[in-house]
Amino acid sequence: MCLDDARYALRVPEEPDGDVMVQASADSDVGIWVRGVTRRFGTAEALRGIDLSAPYGRITALVGPNGAGKTTLLLILATLLTPTAGQVRVAGLDPVADPDGVRSRTGWMPDALGVYEQLTPREYLAFFAEAYRIEPALVADRVAALLARVHLAEHADQPVHVLSRGQKQRLGLARALVHEPRVLLLDEPAAGLDPRSRSELRDLLRELAASGVAILVSSHILAELEELADRVVFVAEGRTVSEEEIAGVSRFVVSGWRVRALDDAALATALAARGIAPLGITAAGSDLPPMSDVDAAALLASLVGDGVPVIAFGPIGGQLEAAYLALNKERR
Amino acid sequence: MSGRAVLLVARQELRIRLRTGRWRWLLAAWVVVVGVFTLLTDLALRASNDTIYEGATEPPSIGPALFTVLVLVVFGLIMVVSPALTAQSVNGDRERGTLAVLQVTRLRPAEIAVGKLLAGWGVGVGALLLTLPFAVWPVVYGGVGAWRIPVVYLVMIVLLGVVCAVSQALSSLVVRGVTSTMLAYATVFALCVGTLILYGLMGAAFTQERTVVLDEGDGGTFTYVERSPSENIWWVLAPNPFVVLIDASPTAPERPRDQGDVAYDQDPLKDLHGAIRSTRVGPGVDRRDAPAVWPYGLAANLLLGVGSVLVTIRRLRAPVAALPRGVRIA
Repeated sequence: MCLDDARYALRVPEEPDGDVMVQASADSDVGIWVRGVTRRFGTAEALRGIDLSAPYGRITALVGPNGAGKTTLLLILATLLTPTAGQVRVAGLDPVADPDGVRSRTGWMPDALGVYEQLTPREYLAFFAEAYRIEPALVADRVAALLARVHLAEHADQPVHVLSRGQKQRLGLARALVHEPRVLLLDEPAAGLDPRSRSELRDLLRELAASGVAILVSSHILAELEELADRVVFVAEGRTVSEEEIAGVSRFVVSGWRVRALDDAALATALAARGIAPLGITAAGSDLPPMSDVDAAALLASLVGDGVPVIAFGPIGGQLEAAYLALNKERR
Repeated sequence: MSGRAVLLVARQELRIRLRTGRWRWLLAAWVVVVGVFTLLTDLALRASNDTIYEGATEPPSIGPALFTVLVLVVFGLIMVVSPALTAQSVNGDRERGTLAVLQVTRLRPAEIAVGKLLAGWGVGVGALLLTLPFAVWPVVYGGVGAWRIPVVYLVMIVLLGVVCAVSQALSSLVVRGVTSTMLAYATVFALCVGTLILYGLMGAAFTQERTVVLDEGDGGTFTYVERSPSENIWWVLAPNPFVVLIDASPTAPERPRDQGDVAYDQDPLKDLHGAIRSTRVGPGVDRRDAPAVWPYGLAANLLLGVGSVLVTIRRLRAPVAALPRGVRIA
């Protein structure tokens, strides 16, 4: 991302809206509930206070720069690391006190593929099905259904090492789903996927969410998350910075806008007349400074009213990207 | 710990092992090497076996000598190979990112540890059992005794398992596969050679000059000076896998001998066996009454093996509170 941060601004809401934040307690029916979690590695603090909820039936995005603690948090949720302090509930259970209970209800897909190259996808999934103590009689059917679901049926009996990265990624997802978990943890699932695989992944995750699974996805591909996720949790330097509904993001983020007209000169004149100085002019259009949705709509109406032949007018980047960059700018 | 889960892990691990590398060729080469060695040793022993004692009508059997050479060489080769079998079983999986996904299944740490150990150990046992036909060969010559083969192979299998367990524990303790492999070899070297060096050094360092006078029965006496305090330091030798193996092997039954018509067999295994046991008795005591060393050595090895398995289990437990330097979970 080489966007200029000047085009984004953060408008922090004066008071938090009660209906935007999920008001959840440990025993309520959220898939993941995290309060005040810290994690220290020696003297380094990876997590300094994470709060997060991921309700059942919804997809929650975990967004933050590299080193923000996303993977560390997922390792804690996946029962591999203990938190130094704070409370964690996954599927209503404490991962430290009852790791086995959490494991039986949680699917985890790490960013490393972690597949055995010498096995076939069918053997690989059958092994994990048994490792999750699925009735041996049910394993073959479960594996066949999963392979069809992630579009690997035709590669089911080829060794894993001939699969493409995207196919391996889907195999990893199938492994995370092998025991029909209620909670799904995905670390950068879309990394290395081509656009078609990405849209298939999106459809699959939406389907799972619709069936009541709580899904937590960490990713850097913000435009992708914006289409996929219902909720977003921003983390930076080991802290939760903000926890929002995707629909609510636009309420506190004002992004820059890009406008393009058939007649560049007429556009420039009209903008100058309104006292708006473009931050930059490229072939894609003129980039305008941040303004709210309402102001942008008014500007567009008045430009069109003045006869400027506008052919494109929209926010620069996505809302999530705008929020992400604005949050990063705040911290500097 | 469920047996089914252990077998699941072992089967999976074995399948992966057998699909990587050219196992068939390696095992075939192993059989050829041991076979050629047995044949050449056989010919060499035959060539030098021309001494027939006076009055003996039948030459001594080369069976015991052939058996000794074969067993010691096979065991030596197994000791060289075995650390490699499990020396990267935990940290290698960590590096490939396949361990964490195993840890978040419902498999318990003990099931993962024992399953993986069985797979590595199983490969070694397979290689060992392929040498069985060559061990039967000297028995056919006679003078070896039927019990030697089962006992010797059982002890070799157990000691092989101990080395595999120690190597696996090292792979769970050390981040890098190269380092854990080196440490595994160092451990085997310490057990096989280090104990001998230590015994020799301690014998020299704590020399006690004791004059022993033996009554020869016919009124005369025989006097000699004993320097090594072996009866106080024999335990240093006990954990040596070769010492355990030799001392545990049953002695061949005496061959029926009518008026010395059969020559005495050369049985180096029996001689070594006697030499090892004699370290336990002080000067002046009849060495034929010396007690066995192997129960102590075997116990020490089993303790080492069981301790190693427990260490591995501990290191596979999750969630973990502390991460050692450089360890990446996933």
